[in-house]
Amino acid sequence: MPPRPKKFIDPFVLAGIDYIDYKDPKLLAQYITYYRSIQSRFHTGTSLKNQKQLASAIKKARQMALLPYVRYE
Amino acid sequence: MQKYELMAIIANSLDAKAAEKHAKDLEGRIEKEFSGKVTFSDFWGERGFAYIIKKQKWGYYNVTQFNMDPEQAQGLRHELNLDNDLVRFMITKVDAKSPLPRKYADMKKEYEAQEKAKEDDKKPADDKKTSAKKEKLTTVKVEEPKATEAPKNELDKKLDAIVDEASDI
Repeated sequence: MPPRPKKFIDPFVLAGIDYIDYKDPKLLAQYITYYRSIQSRFHTGTSLKNQKQLASAIKKARQMALLPYVRYE
Repeated sequence: MQKYELMAIIANSLDAKAAEKHAKDLEGRIEKEFSGKVTFSDFWGERGFAYIIKKQKWGYYNVTQFNMDPEQAQGLRHELNLDNDLVRFMITKVDAKSPLPRKYADMKKEYEAQEKAKEDDKKPADDKKTSAKKEKLTTVKVEEPKATEAPKNELDKKLDAIVDEASDI
């Protein structure tokens, strides 16, 4: 989970990512919480457009067991 | 024609070679039976699941992109459901303009390189921190006697004054 930026700058715009791919679980794992729920826009600073892409990508990755639905242990 | 992407998980009851062959057979069937055109294929190999599926902890992942008529895609979905060697699969629509996805092996290498770079950064950083701490400790030690001397002098003066007063009496 990346820390909340001082200014609300979209991290995907900073990194130059146009399309958020569900096949990149390491990238997506940065945007889920300790209990593996999707991190809110308030904390990550993603734009609305990218947050929608991110959410759908995380949901697809979960279906294919690339990311967990919940944290066990 | 619509561009699709198929991600399939092949059961770990097969060997790595057999799994790769199975993935290639799938591509062949897409081209022959469903009149599709495969534009991209990537066999990931073994990968652990994030959770247990059908009492299995890992499987072989395979990703293929192809162009196909939407009517045929439903038939493909039906056929894949009958395949016992597939643990799970997902067919997603892809924008025709979007570039080809990165290969999994390249992605893995990139992340390994990043982790290595991070570890290399950490090692000298730790040394700096410890050295900085040592410097601080040494400076504090030098300052401490100075700080303690000043109040002592004041105390001494006060004591002397009191002693003088006492001697006057």
